[in-house]
Order: sequence, then structure tokens, then C-alpha cells
Amino acid sequence: MAEKHVVIDVGDGAALPRKRDRGLFNAWWIALIGALSIITYLCITRPDPYWRVLKFLPDGILVTFQVTILSILLALVLGLFTGLGRISKNRVINLIASTYVEVVRGIPLLVQLFYIYFALGQVFANLPDSNALFIFLKNMPPLVAAVIAMGICYGAYMGEVFRAGIESIDHGQTEAARSLGFSRTQTMFYVILPQAWRTILPPVGNEFIALLKDSSLVSILAVSDILRRGREFASVTFNYFETYTMVALVYLVITLLLSKVVSTMEERLNYYERR
Amino acid sequence: MSAAEKIISIHNASKFFGSLKALYNVSLDIHTGEKVVIIGPSGSGKSTLLRSINRLETIDQGTITVDGKNIDAPGSDINALRMEMGMVFQSFNLFPHKTVLENLTMAPIKLKKIPRGQAEEQAMALLKKVGIEEKSGVYPVQLSGGQKQRVAIARALAMSPKIMLFDEPTSALDPEMIGEVLDVMVTLAKEGMTMAVVTHEMGFAREVADRIVFMDQGEILEIGTPEHFFERPEHPRLKKFLSQIL
Ligand SMILES: Nc1ncnc2c1ncn2[C@@H]1O[C@H](COP(=O)(O)OP(=O)(O)O)[C@@H](O)[C@H]1O
Ligand SMILES: [Mg+2]
Repeated sequence: MAEKHVVIDVGDGAALPRKRDRGLFNAWWIALIGALSIITYLCITRPDPYWRVLKFLPDGILVTFQVTILSILLALVLGLFTGLGRISKNRVINLIASTYVEVVRGIPLLVQLFYIYFALGQVFANLPDSNALFIFLKNMPPLVAAVIAMGICYGAYMGEVFRAGIESIDHGQTEAARSLGFSRTQTMFYVILPQAWRTILPPVGNEFIALLKDSSLVSILAVSDILRRGREFASVTFNYFETYTMVALVYLVITLLLSKVVSTMEERLNYYERR
Repeated sequence: MSAAEKIISIHNASKFFGSLKALYNVSLDIHTGEKVVIIGPSGSGKSTLLRSINRLETIDQGTITVDGKNIDAPGSDINALRMEMGMVFQSFNLFPHKTVLENLTMAPIKLKKIPRGQAEEQAMALLKKVGIEEKSGVYPVQLSGGQKQRVAIARALAMSPKIMLFDEPTSALDPEMIGEVLDVMVTLAKEGMTMAVVTHEMGFAREVADRIVFMDQGEILEIGTPEHFFERPEHPRLKKFLSQIL
């Protein structure tokens, strides 16, 4: 049997703590306990402004999660189709998927956000009020624009993750399923993807964390995420140092906790390999 | 045998990989209930022939009909045809994310819409038949090679195929496990299953085959009964092959 060598390019997600990697594992604890201690210390010793900032942020945390989760869902759907398109033997489909990946990867996320919200927004503004879709597009809420932009952007990266995951499964699996009478699609959904998840999930988890961090960009579109809430607070109180210290710490705690969730899920996924 | 219907009919089949003739002008009929053993040196096209029968490979020239239907005809439902053919691979290819029982029930439930309870009952009967019922709840990773291959045979049988195709089912096994798999195949043969078997196990060929097919460089060079093959082989390359392998 041919040896499979699978490398999935991991983006800039948070480090996943693994027990076998003592260095990272310990760094994870140090960072988490350190961040929580500093937050607690600051809020107790100087409740004004630190405690006030912290109380001001939860609405933003909710929005950040909202944007992140909606975007990742869109990205997963786009990523699945893109990944399937990239391995498709149909040249047209393959070309469309590959072009999407190339184009999106070549344009900074911030530019894509501006493009969808401001550039397309201007085009949509001239649409007639003839149907519900046009009316929606004309008044597209910034959050929707943000989710679309981030979903499209991360969908391209996710496409590569799906492709690598699908290609990591031995071809014999496909042959066994097809020889039983499963169609191509059934083979993909019953046999290949359930196994590919093990390869796909860790990078998806990393992308989720990277996306959560990148979602701070949407604060520019007046979406009230964590960063935007911080900006609002600072612009009134002029406590820039204190506010952004708190904002940074909150992001850090969230990503640290999420990375733990991801690595736990990853371990669970290996159930059928345990002897 | 002459009265039996042809379940598989291969007519002048050729398959090229670039300039390489993996199959060249191969013609072979397999009748219902017949056991055909295909032998030949490595790279002679045995796997390609077997895989062409259920269209894991598509032939470039010639025709293959299964149960009277041309598998390459534009309107042919290859998935339905494949359900009538069980295939057993050298490398088992069990579904690692499914338990042994689920490996057997998945296709009948999803493809034949057989109720789960009934599918599981049938699956347990098949596992018992291949002598591995106590492993129904485990994942394939926990099985030995011989056990895996027996499960793979049972998985194929779970679709109640009309013919079973075996591609070197014992070649990946440790020597001490070959017997347990061959035993299952012999039992299957005695029950009247139509079988096409690629193997290097000459003992099996001698015991089970109605006809043996010798392939070399993509061509069928000789077809005959075991007696003919082992007592009076004709083609010089077959003689050479047998002298090396026996
Ligand atoms: N997918 C493929 N691409 C290119 N060459 C192939 C492919 N599959 C098989 N071959 C070649 O076709 C010939 C016949 O292969 P195969 O049918 O596997 O032989 P056997 O099973 O008798 O060992 C060999 O020379 C092999 O290298
Ligand atoms: Mg072979």
C-alpha cells in the first residue's frame, strides 16, 4: 500500500495544547492562568476603569461569537463544495473552485470586507425596490456583510482543508464502497467524509480560532464586537491603555479556552483507532 | 456447465495505461455457479481484468456484459450492477470508522433499504458463517489480518451478490492466517457461489477451480481444468510460471 503523507497547512490559529508537547502544554497553562490573574488583579486594585471596561464588553463578546460562528458555518459549506470541486474530475467545476481559492487568497481580508460592504453596497444602493432580495441588499446590515465576507474568505482556506482531508483517505475505501454499489455521492458522505473529519477537524478548529481573531476587523464596519465596544468605551473615557489592555486579555482568554475545546474534540475523534 | 447461463461475458476487452497493454483482447465467459481461478505473474493484468468486471477500471475496447447487461452502455446503472457483484480486495478495505457489524449492515440498509433489525440479523448469520461473530462489536483496527479478510468477505456477501470477485485475498496475510480465509472461500464455493478468484494459492486452485485462466502481459494465454493445468500445461510461459511457483 502506498504510504500517505498528509500535511495540512495550519494557519495562524492559536497553539493547540497537547499533552505530548510539554512545552506548549505548559505555555497554555501559564498564559491562561497569567491572563486570568492579571484580569482579576486589575479589576480588584483599579475597578475604575478596569472593571467598568470588563462590564462593558460582554455584549461585544456575544457579537464576536455571532459573527465567528455564522462565518465559520458559511465557510464550512463553501469549503466543502470548494474541496469537492478541487478534486473533481470535471474540468469546469475544478477550474471554478481553484479560481475562487486563488482569487480569495490573493486579496487581504480587510479589502474583501470593504469590497462587500462599501463597494458592492454602492452598487446595491442603486437597485430598484422591485423584490425582497433587492430591498435586503440595499439595506444590508453590516453584520451580514461581515459574515458574507469572512465566510467567503475562510471558505477558500477551508476548501484546501477539506481537499487535504478527503485526499488523506486511502483510495481503497472509495473502491470498497463503490464495489458495494454506493454512488459517488453516497461514498463521499457515508465513507470518506466521516473518516476525513479526523484530518479536517483540527485545522477547522484552528481556522475557527483564527477567524475569531480576524473578526475584530469587522469593528470597522460598525459591528459592535469586542474591539468595537472597547473603542466606544475608550473614545468616551480616553482610557486607551486600560481599555485595550482589557480587550487584548479578553481575546487571549477566549482563544486559549477555544484551543482547549478543539484539542479535546480532536482526541475524541480518534475513538476507532484505539485498540 | 454448458447448460448454465453466462453471468459474465467478456469479449475482446483491452485496457491501456498509456502505451502499456494492461489487457489485450481478453475474452472470457463465466457461467452461473462456476469457479474461475486466474493466475499469472505480477503485472500480468489479473487485477485489471477483475476490476474491469465491476468497472472500477473502464476498458478501452471490447465489451463486458454482466447478467446480460453491457456495463459500459450509456444507460446502464453501474451501481445496481455492482450490487450483484461482491468484491474482496487484497488490502481488505474495511471501513475503519464502523464496527464489524456496521461494516456488514451499512450497504444493505442504505442501498437495499433493508430494516436495521433484519440487516443485523443477516449480518450476524454471516459473521457466524465466517467464524467471527464474537467480534461483531469491535472496530476493524482490533482484528488480525485473517479476521479482517473474513469480515470483508462477509461484508460483500451481505449484499447477496450473484458473483464474488476475489483479488489476491490472501496475499497480504501472514502465512498462518491464509488457511482460515481459504476455508471460508472453499465453503462458499461448495455452496454454489459463482466465483472469480485471482490467487497464487495453487492448492486452492486445484481443489476449487472449474477452470483456471493463465494471464501474461495482459493476455489470456491458456484456459483449462486444474487437471489440464497441472498435468499437461501447454504454453511455454505457463510451464515456466508453474515451475517457478510450485
Ligand atoms: N492505474 C494504473 N496506472 C498505470 N498503470 C497501471 C495502473 N493499474 C495497473 N497498471 C499496470 O497495468 C499492468 C497490469 O496490472 P495489474 O492488473 O494490477 O496486474 P496484476 O494484478 O496481474 O499484478 C501492470 O503493468 C501495472 O503496472
Ligand atoms: Mg493484482
